[in-house]
Amino acid sequence: MDYYLQQLVIGLSLGMVYALVAIGFTLIFGVLNVVNFAHGEIYTIGAFAGLLLFTSFAPPLAAVILIVLAVGALAGVGLERLAFRPFRRFTDEASLKSRAMREATLMSSLALSIVAREAIELIFGSQFQAVPFKLLLNNPIKLGPVTIVDGDLVILGTSALMLFALQYVLKHTRVGLSIRAVSNNALGARYVGIDTNRTIAWTFAVGSAMGAVAGILVGLYYGAIFPAMGFSPGIKAFVAMVMGGLSSIPGAVVCAMIIGVSEALSTIFVASVWQDLVAYAFLIVTLIFFPRGIFGGVRERV
Amino acid sequence: MLNRRSLLSLGAGALALSVSSAAFAQQPTYKIGYQLPLTGNTAQYGVDFKNAAEIALDRFAKANKPFKVEIVFEDSRSDAKEGVAIARKFADDKAIVGVLGDFTSGVSMASAQVYKEAGMPQLSQTASHPDYAKISEWQFRNITTQAQEGPLNAEWMYALGYRKVAVIAEQTDWGQTVVSNFADKFKALGGQVVFSEFFNRGLADFRPILTKIGRERPDAIYTGFFYEDGAQFLKQAKQLGLATPIHSTSAAYNQQLITLAGGDSEGMKLTATFLPTNPAANVQEFVAAWKAKTGQAEPGQFPAQAYDAVNIMLAALERAHAAGNVTRKSLRDQLAATKDFPGVTGNTTFDANREPAKQLVRAQVKGGAFVAVQN
Repeated sequence: MDYYLQQLVIGLSLGMVYALVAIGFTLIFGVLNVVNFAHGEIYTIGAFAGLLLFTSFAPPLAAVILIVLAVGALAGVGLERLAFRPFRRFTDEASLKSRAMREATLMSSLALSIVAREAIELIFGSQFQAVPFKLLLNNPIKLGPVTIVDGDLVILGTSALMLFALQYVLKHTRVGLSIRAVSNNALGARYVGIDTNRTIAWTFAVGSAMGAVAGILVGLYYGAIFPAMGFSPGIKAFVAMVMGGLSSIPGAVVCAMIIGVSEALSTIFVASVWQDLVAYAFLIVTLIFFPRGIFGGVRERV
Repeated sequence: MLNRRSLLSLGAGALALSVSSAAFAQQPTYKIGYQLPLTGNTAQYGVDFKNAAEIALDRFAKANKPFKVEIVFEDSRSDAKEGVAIARKFADDKAIVGVLGDFTSGVSMASAQVYKEAGMPQLSQTASHPDYAKISEWQFRNITTQAQEGPLNAEWMYALGYRKVAVIAEQTDWGQTVVSNFADKFKALGGQVVFSEFFNRGLADFRPILTKIGRERPDAIYTGFFYEDGAQFLKQAKQLGLATPIHSTSAAYNQQLITLAGGDSEGMKLTATFLPTNPAANVQEFVAAWKAKTGQAEPGQFPAQAYDAVNIMLAALERAHAAGNVTRKSLRDQLAATKDFPGVTGNTTFDANREPAKQLVRAQVKGGAFVAVQN
């Protein structure tokens, strides 16, 4: 029994890691309706920025998180400028509705993500960076029959904080309301006088700041900071987003937890090499049987 | 039009003249190809090989030999398709008489098919899959295979009194041989393999597997991983409070393992062919050159194997040159004749199957370093 409980707890902590990445990912998807392939690299940039801060100034964790938030926001705005905005330079109705224009950003964000990853690799090398041991968020805590680590609590707290803060921002602030307006109908928002470019830049800033914080937290959690670290969580966040109905943030969080728990529990029954298959299986099942996400037909965005 | 053509032919003539006069005036230069990952996920290994090769080449250049050697490095990204493309390029370059690399068994074996057809001697510093050297008479390696290492570890662990062992290795050709060679011997000795599983390389979270291993209550765990996966495995084992002794192969032997896992790596045992603490003159010369060139700590086993592989190739080239006939065929024959080559990873002799016989030492992580142990 203890064994199953331990696996369940590990699954929940895996799920929280995916959820942390999925929140920013889904927010950005919601407003533009395109996948931002560079989210994984924002995550990596966050981790490297945090590590550099730690090793050069040794500030407290809270200060690092604030600076990493800022680094992520800047990177996000830069990303939007370089990979997304050039494809929105025509503002006539046909261009705004054009799928081709929108989906070209799939490629431009992918291209930028490759450039960013290779650049990090050129500077730091592709190996794991040595993370000072005292910073690691992996000190075990015994809870009766199961073991968790202090990082689980930090990640749980951060995910919850992000989720609720985001809900508040989206429902009760001007920026949040305009994000929801643009996500609902970009053309309509423009007609009623919302500065869509500014709103989209804000969305990237918020979503990428969250991605960057996820990067440093998960990096310290596993003690694994390396240029390709964003790939795997990016895939899991993508699947969680699709399962959750593409633009529902709470849906993506719940689905991230489902993926994490399923992965951990799957190792009870099958060899762990199949673990990665779980997420892809969920993706296929969702696309075939629940094309609008597993929470059904409600198509409300963000 | 006429003008341009005559100018062109004049240029070509001048070029041919300068090339031929250079060949007469200078010592001959032989070219060797080296395919290795310089970018991508395994770039750190390839960069290490390149540094080791440059140290060896530098040492050779200073030794005043009657010929010069140039090494052409090509980046394979540890991708079999890239590897094959590079192999074709090397095979087409008539100036290249021998090839070193690749890093992984998979890429080395894919490229080997090209070298087999083209008749090009290939010496890999790390390809340890049993089938690699069987591909053709052109393939050599400078690494002990799991066929040697697995049984040795099985005997070691059995002698320590372990009877129930869990085995885990990465899901690659190499990882399969880690498990099979160890398990066959361990069962033959009368031991029991209570858990046997593979993981995908680069797995972030080993805790589900570790929990599963813990449930089997083995006496010890035998692992087949490289240092990055190894560091994650060791850290998370400690985190879950798993106190089972852990044994590994020479692949995990890298100072970075201790840097990344810190105290959590303490006590792990493994077999290796190279220890930087070995007082032999050639080992200390290489360690000093490595530190000076890279600014890093002591080299691990892989750079040492690459250094030896380059030197074995250079020694074979020297014998072929002395015999007055440097071709791909003569270089292959000279490589096959390598006997008791005194390298930093021990003396190397290629047997009839082009496999190196090497001496393995037992080592353990103690006080943040790999030290030789008796048992």
